[in-house]
Amino acid sequence: MQLQGLNKTFGSNRVLQDITVELPEKATTVIVGPSGSGKSTLLRSLNLLERPESGLYQVADLNIDFSKKISSKQVLDVRKKTGMVFQDYNLFPHKTVLQNVIEGPVQVLKQDKNAATKEAYELLDKVGLKEKADFYPDQLSGGQAQRVAIARSLAMHPEYILLDEPTSALDPELEAEVLKVLADLANEKQSLIIVTHNLFFARQIASKIVFVEDGQIIFDGSSQEFFDQRQGNPRIHDFISSMSFTGIKEGTPQE
Amino acid sequence: MWDIITYSLPQILSAGVKFTIPLALIAFAIGLALALVTALVRISHRGGVFVIVKGIFRFYVWLFRSTPLIVQLFIVYFGLPYLTIPGILENGVKFSPFIAGIITFSLNTGAYASETIRASISSVPNGQWEAASSIGMTRGQTLRRIVLPQAFRISVPPLANSFISLVKDTSLAASITIVEMFEVSQQIAAENYQPLIMYTLVALVYAIFCSILTVGQNYLEKRTNRHLNQTEGE
Repeated sequence: MQLQGLNKTFGSNRVLQDITVELPEKATTVIVGPSGSGKSTLLRSLNLLERPESGLYQVADLNIDFSKKISSKQVLDVRKKTGMVFQDYNLFPHKTVLQNVIEGPVQVLKQDKNAATKEAYELLDKVGLKEKADFYPDQLSGGQAQRVAIARSLAMHPEYILLDEPTSALDPELEAEVLKVLADLANEKQSLIIVTHNLFFARQIASKIVFVEDGQIIFDGSSQEFFDQRQGNPRIHDFISSMSFTGIKEGTPQE
Repeated sequence: MWDIITYSLPQILSAGVKFTIPLALIAFAIGLALALVTALVRISHRGGVFVIVKGIFRFYVWLFRSTPLIVQLFIVYFGLPYLTIPGILENGVKFSPFIAGIITFSLNTGAYASETIRASISSVPNGQWEAASSIGMTRGQTLRRIVLPQAFRISVPPLANSFISLVKDTSLAASITIVEMFEVSQQIAAENYQPLIMYTLVALVYAIFCSILTVGQNYLEKRTNRHLNQTEGE
């Protein structure tokens, strides 16, 4: 997955400025940065929930030019390759956990319902929620809901799963159960792109870190380099030290 | 007094079964369909010629919400027969009283209910649209399978309100010569000089009809809310 020269403005605010970055497959890329830095917009652009005004986007064999009109076929193709997990889960409240998971496979991929159901149970088992298949989202804890959302995106067999602050709405102990699922996925070489505030988790899971500030990429490199740079680069240093106070939470996986 | 009731109640109920209930049911069904179409047109993002279609629907909603129902009934039943366009329409547009009633009540209900449905659709969180489109669902699929079912739950109480209003508003059909319940009670009151008893009696019959609808509403609310945790809404 590659982005080249991405630009996006909201009014006079340049949210993304000439973003060029490579997001490798079978790896875990963590995008960090202060609030309002444009990191969520960047992530949402990968699923075409946001449309930058210009720039090139390449994912697998698809090439998107944001300065041209994007056809609905292209949109669908990109969305099949990129699953999205939202901060506030966005499960469908009128559907059971199982129905949430099979909705995409049956309606979009036109899979056979029985086959989709069978696979949905396997995915729910994987995120530890097989027994909640017939529950409604409203009967789940936040951590459970987010794990269902991860199962829902996995059911589409996307090449990349994009996670937008997946644990920011969760209490620490619920956060841990979601992070464990993500760590398992990372170990299985599922390509993940995660926007998070949790630097401890980033350090533990990321093979690559992208640091975004004011719509620009300030750092793009390995996790090791990023944390080593905290002395050398004042912006990274400031960011890490501001996060370290708010970022320490009980139950957060640490090295 | 018992004699008056046993004499008039069967006639009122018979008018209810023949006119009030069919008027209300048919007009509500057509009105709902019209309301859904109107709401969907008005929330559509389509441009081009479609903007004109949107304008027409907006005009329709404005027109029927800004004029009295009884005046609308009079225009459709008494007025339209005088509508002539030389060469095209020479003899005006004539409807039977019942059809004129159905048309007017449907259009009126449709205008109000379309606003209810439109508001219900917009009250479904944007995240639902995003989640559905992120898994590749089209706008149509998202509406049908994700947004409308949730909007329906939200719109049950206000739509039930519209239905109850419609049942009572059918009494205005008396003014275009439909012999519905209120008209029957007026006729009997004119014979027996018992307006208090007659109008109280017909009021009670309306109240019973509407109470049945309220029971139906409660059932529908329970059914559409069953996926929600019981603690919600406290």
